[in-house]
Amino acid sequence: MGKRNIKLAIVATLAVASLFLFSVSGMAAEAVQKPKIAAPCKQCHMPDERILRGSFSGISPNAKTIQIAIGPATWLVKYDSETKLVGEEKWSKISKEKEIAIATMEKDGALYAASVAVKPPAKIAPDKIINAEELARLIDSGSEKGEFTLVDSRPMPRYSEGHIPGAISIYDAVFEKNTDKLPKDKSKLLVFYCAGPT
Amino acid sequence: MPAWKKSGNLIASTAANLKEAIDKDIPHVLIDVRPLDAAEKEHIKGAVSIPLKELANAKDKFPSDKKAPVIICCNTVKASEEAFRIVRKWGYSNLSYLAGGIEAWKKSGYPVESLALKTAIEYVPKPRQGEISVEGFKSIAEAKPSGKLILDVRDVDEAANGMLVGAMNIPTSDISLRLSEIPKDREIIAHCVTGVRAEMAYHLLKEAGYKVSFLNANIKIDKDGKYEITKE
Repeated sequence: MGKRNIKLAIVATLAVASLFLFSVSGMAAEAVQKPKIAAPCKQCHMPDERILRGSFSGISPNAKTIQIAIGPATWLVKYDSETKLVGEEKWSKISKEKEIAIATMEKDGALYAASVAVKPPAKIAPDKIINAEELARLIDSGSEKGEFTLVDSRPMPRYSEGHIPGAISIYDAVFEKNTDKLPKDKSKLLVFYCAGPT
Repeated sequence: MPAWKKSGNLIASTAANLKEAIDKDIPHVLIDVRPLDAAEKEHIKGAVSIPLKELANAKDKFPSDKKAPVIICCNTVKASEEAFRIVRKWGYSNLSYLAGGIEAWKKSGYPVESLALKTAIEYVPKPRQGEISVEGFKSIAEAKPSGKLILDVRDVDEAANGMLVGAMNIPTSDISLRLSEIPKDREIIAHCVTGVRAEMAYHLLKEAGYKVSFLNANIKIDKDGKYEITKE
């Protein structure tokens, strides 16, 4: 994850945010209180007044409205044929709970989506990827022997409700504090998985 | 994880997860696949006994909702795996086995019971926030109590082909602009065709301070106001 780029992004976002500070002051008080960025998104993205980051929770072509869930809050955003869809071919193809970012603006008194970006998969070198079949074979050959360590990078509750047998849980957001859970022998194979490809 | 799940591979869940589901009344199905006598002696609260030998013939006992969280409880990894593969073939996507079985459960300090075991699965999916039950909706549609108003949030041309008697039609996309037409002193029950737009209307009205719920089901309405509701 490009954590080193974050600093740069922070500077850029702050500059933009300060410009917008004045223009958004007229927004309704209740809208300001509702979160605009979901907790997991904050790992890589800075909060931005104009961008809603959360999980896709529904779309109605009849009402021309997209529903996005951000923590416990729900936002309804209008869209039309002018709205740009990035990272997916069709509206109907966005899967439920997929991470999306909606660039919003006010149009005719309602919240309107200028663009909707579906989170792209992370780029990983092909030789660093193991598929489900290969992993199943690896597990069958016995992880107990200490040949490899399987790490579930999702939040702990996701691990708890269902994980690959033999995996240990180290949530990516707290990875740096938990490196002691990894094997001492650095030559051993580590396999990571999440709810990816993200 | 999705690729792993899709190819039908084994998935384990933790004792803590099951404990939370039980404590918080989160709908789930817990199947104890050990032989009946062992299961009777001690089992986890809410467990349904289906011994592994009978499991392959017990498909009809399972809930129609294939997304129901199903947890298999056993005492050996081998039996858990076997049970997992049987149930997975039926298409249950939120299936897991309890990692470490009932021994891991006990080791975590969680209680076991020796009360009568259930033999039938009861599973009611968790409603979405603001969802009204189909029965609740029907009784309001029939009795038309004065304190409640059914709001048809379909588009005007859809509503023109038949509406519920006593309902008001304001499409979801117009609600924000037409709030003044919706009475604040009545409880609003929104419906559309599938529940998608009704849920959006629910959020809009809730934010505007209304007491509101919505029908999360498919509804077909005739010209004369006769209707049919089906829930997936």
